[in-house]
Amino acid sequence: MRRIWSATSVAILLGGLVTIAWLSWPDRAPAARPYEGTTIRAVVNAEFVKYSLTLVEQDLYDKLGVKIETEVIPADAFVAKTLLEFNSGGSPWDLVMFGPSNMPDYGRHFEPLEPWIEKLKLDFAMDDIVPVFAKVMLRYQGKLVSMPYDGDIHIMFWNKPAFERPDNRAKFKAKYKYDLQPPKTWKQWDDAAEFFHGWGWDGSQQKLFGAGASYKPSGSGFSYHWWRSRYFSYGGNYFDANMKPLVNGPAGVRALEEMVKTMPFYPPGVLLFEAEEPKTMLIKGEVPLLYSWTSTGKRVGNPGESLIVGKAGFGLVPGADIDGKIINRPAITPGRGMAVSKYSKKKEATLKVLEFISNPDQSLKIVMDAKTIMDPWRVSHLRSEKFKKLFPDADKYLAAIEQSFPYLVPDPVIPAADEYQRKLSFEITEALAKRKAPKDALDSAAKEWDKITERRGPDKQKAAWGEKLAEMKALGIEYKPDWAAKAK
Amino acid sequence: MAIALERSAVGARRAKRHRLWQRVGHGLTYLGLFAALVFFLGPFFWIVTTSLKGNEDFFAFPPVWIPAEPSLKHYAALFTRSSGARYFMNSLVLSTLSMISALVVSLPTAYSIARWRFGGGLLSIFLLVLRMLPAIALIIPIYIVYKLLGITNNYLALVVIYTVLYIPFSVWLLVGFLRDFPVEIEEAAMIDGCSRLRALVQVVVPIIAPGMAVVALFSFIATWNEFLFAIVLTGIETKTMMVLVTSYTSGGTDMFYGEASASVVLGVLPAFAVAFMLQRYLVKGLSLGGTKG
Amino acid sequence: MRIPALGLKRKQWEPLAFASPSMALIAFVIVFPLAYSFYLSFQNYDLSIGPEYEFVGGKNYAEAIFRDERFLGSVWNTAVIIAPALVLELLLGLGIALLLSRVLRGRPIITALLVVPSMVSPVMAAMAWRMMYGVKYGAINNLGRQLGILDVYFDWFSSPTVSIIAVVLVDVWHNTPFMMLVLLAGLQSIPTELYEAAKADGASAWQRFWSITLPLLKFTMAVGVMIRLIDLTKLFGLIYVLTFGGPGGATETVAFTTFLMGFKDFRMSYAAALSYVIVGGVLVLTLVFMWIQRVREARAAA
Repeated sequence: MRRIWSATSVAILLGGLVTIAWLSWPDRAPAARPYEGTTIRAVVNAEFVKYSLTLVEQDLYDKLGVKIETEVIPADAFVAKTLLEFNSGGSPWDLVMFGPSNMPDYGRHFEPLEPWIEKLKLDFAMDDIVPVFAKVMLRYQGKLVSMPYDGDIHIMFWNKPAFERPDNRAKFKAKYKYDLQPPKTWKQWDDAAEFFHGWGWDGSQQKLFGAGASYKPSGSGFSYHWWRSRYFSYGGNYFDANMKPLVNGPAGVRALEEMVKTMPFYPPGVLLFEAEEPKTMLIKGEVPLLYSWTSTGKRVGNPGESLIVGKAGFGLVPGADIDGKIINRPAITPGRGMAVSKYSKKKEATLKVLEFISNPDQSLKIVMDAKTIMDPWRVSHLRSEKFKKLFPDADKYLAAIEQSFPYLVPDPVIPAADEYQRKLSFEITEALAKRKAPKDALDSAAKEWDKITERRGPDKQKAAWGEKLAEMKALGIEYKPDWAAKAK
Repeated sequence: MAIALERSAVGARRAKRHRLWQRVGHGLTYLGLFAALVFFLGPFFWIVTTSLKGNEDFFAFPPVWIPAEPSLKHYAALFTRSSGARYFMNSLVLSTLSMISALVVSLPTAYSIARWRFGGGLLSIFLLVLRMLPAIALIIPIYIVYKLLGITNNYLALVVIYTVLYIPFSVWLLVGFLRDFPVEIEEAAMIDGCSRLRALVQVVVPIIAPGMAVVALFSFIATWNEFLFAIVLTGIETKTMMVLVTSYTSGGTDMFYGEASASVVLGVLPAFAVAFMLQRYLVKGLSLGGTKG
Repeated sequence: MRIPALGLKRKQWEPLAFASPSMALIAFVIVFPLAYSFYLSFQNYDLSIGPEYEFVGGKNYAEAIFRDERFLGSVWNTAVIIAPALVLELLLGLGIALLLSRVLRGRPIITALLVVPSMVSPVMAAMAWRMMYGVKYGAINNLGRQLGILDVYFDWFSSPTVSIIAVVLVDVWHNTPFMMLVLLAGLQSIPTELYEAAKADGASAWQRFWSITLPLLKFTMAVGVMIRLIDLTKLFGLIYVLTFGGPGGATETVAFTTFLMGFKDFRMSYAAALSYVIVGGVLVLTLVFMWIQRVREARAAA
């Protein structure tokens, strides 16, 4: 009798447990994780880009069930390795980060997005993309192939106390006969660099430096990015309508000579500086002036490492005084875009991922984080209240970015862009290292450029360049041979 | 009698001076060797301590040479965020496979040369020619062919290359060992009925084991250290420690000082191990016909 | 056992069989690629343009030798690095080997410790030294400032000359132990009776060094120098990590420039031609070196 009781109670217990379990089992929600179990492979050119993807990976997994496996190929080898893969007819990656200046070389390997937008009803919030970035980061031969990921431009940063201390101002006025202010022209920049170099302009006994820059010719540039703003403001351009290089003309030589002359006012090691070193010096209060990528601003406002939070100014890159008008030519370079490889076997999942990481909220997360080095590229980023309150004066920082948009000078976005830029940067650093005279260095660069044009096919290059020339003209950027001598 | 005493006194003084000089000489010798040790091992000391600096010690001035609170957090970061574990395993796997492969291929070849003078005197010439060849001359055609065959990012394809690179040295070393080995023992084994191959494996190998150990260690560490083929022919699955280190060269080593130094420490571990294991053979191995043409 | 098909007796095919795995591998990995590379060097295979190519004769070689200032510059750089590195490695290696040969207690362990730098990869050596050369946080600058030798930060890569010195220093650190080993072996092969006899004859330590040690060590030194010379022409990994050729092109070596041509500019054919120019150069260098040796030996014998 007892046994029957025990058996029954056990049965009821078990039955109850099963029922409860069955009732409370989570629903197999079909729409919640449509791509559950998929892993897509991404390739990026730096550790911090990989880091930026980790910021969104949790939400990505929750929403889509997709994981991203990211490979980092260092910037020096990135273009070469990825293009070699693509040119051989395939690639192991689904999601590809790339530099938009190389779109002419990469574009044909990317999957056009428009048919998929139709098919999957994707929304990339295209209207929210800042026009200057939309122009360079989206299309190849008219077809939409990529989305922006990082809106790189150059703006100027300065250490406000350095410019506001009364004794600094007095000393400067005595020596240079005009008021100390954040430089508006190149002459003022060079004067400031000379003035601030070698003593404690922050009131300390330390020997500090004049200004910051990145002069290493690696990745696809650095030193040439710094030369370019001067060069274009002196009326220069890359090529003329016949693909003859103009870089070794008077404007180029003047720009480079000024850079060589002011070398002593830059920190030791500047010839091997890439992007981050001068930014670090700025935020540690060791240089008072720097024009560099907008991501500098986030590091300036990051209390974890910056000593100048709330004490920095943001503005337009200096320009040249031409007949009383100041011509600014900040660089828009290189930026980063994300695209889907044409050879991917997981295109649908990758496209959903691309949509996700590009949407206004996720991309805002990425561009607001100081450690990602990614910069705003959506209008909503620049107007975001959250961003404006991210650090003291963040609103002024965002305003400076917007202020620069009408004057931006792009890279030479034609086939072999990477090679043209590298060879020019190399020669510029050769001159800065005093291994060659500025004119000789630029002559060598022009010769190398001719070699590249010859190898790629002069007609093809001329046609591609012709388009860019027209675009620049529409923006008011033209070759002006007389400016080099006139500029003040 | 007096003169004899004088002589011995003078002799004693000379002997004392001589001993003093000897002591000074000894002292200087050890001093010199100490200076050499500081110079050659100093960098390792600094890299190890740097990799253990947990907080702001790296950025401190006056410089902190030995961190007060050593921390393993950089190694942890290396293994989690930067997939350090995978690269370490790749290096390990590649080096081990190459080591085995080099032995398996070189031993019969060395045997062939030692016993039957295979190839005549070509060996030395071939060795020299191979040594003169810069890897860059090989990498270009090999890369093109491998890309065509789709075998980049492939362990075995890499092992094949590494094996060939070590054949000359390994063969030369083993030939030296084999020449010292008396043929009679082999013959005895063969008379007892085993084939030459079995004789080689069961009789010769155990006795020239030291030579094989040297070859093994050499191939292991040469593969571990190899760079050019590694950066060109590896992909995310097969990247080695050497390739990992290159991701810290841009952005300045200041930003990733912890992971950079940790990866160096891991990258030089085999060197320390091999140096100690080869202690006895370092000089002997080289004097085995190497420096005497 | 005969292999009738090949008409060989066991005695004849057995050696071949034993050596065949390595022969096959060598054919696949060395002979074939070298031939293919040679063939390519006369075409204009350029992966940045496309997979098609055509025959261009000696154009690549002509460009390399007459028109490529960057390559010629790298030849000069390589020479400028090799010369001091060789001299320092020889002198330092000889000095340490001599010291070691006088020490009996603890010699194996000291040798093993001293040898470690030569056993690490040039890439690791370069990375360690790159961090040590760091302008603000590097060991060398920190030590210098702590000892009061340095006033401000010193930039080890500020000028071409200084960066060459920096590269030479790393290479000397990396390879002196190897030279030391070679010379140590040579020293140990000199019979001690010679020293005893000389001492009995009243020769001083210095005289013993000059008339016994050096002459008998000459051959070893020559071998060591030649090996290092050849290895130095291949300098690549060290440069890649330490300076990446910088500042500007001040520390680009021939192997490095060739690598850039092939794997950054994708000009495979041109890079193949460059690599053959290098091989040719090394061959000439080696032959010249050996010829000099022979002349000196003949003169010494006479």
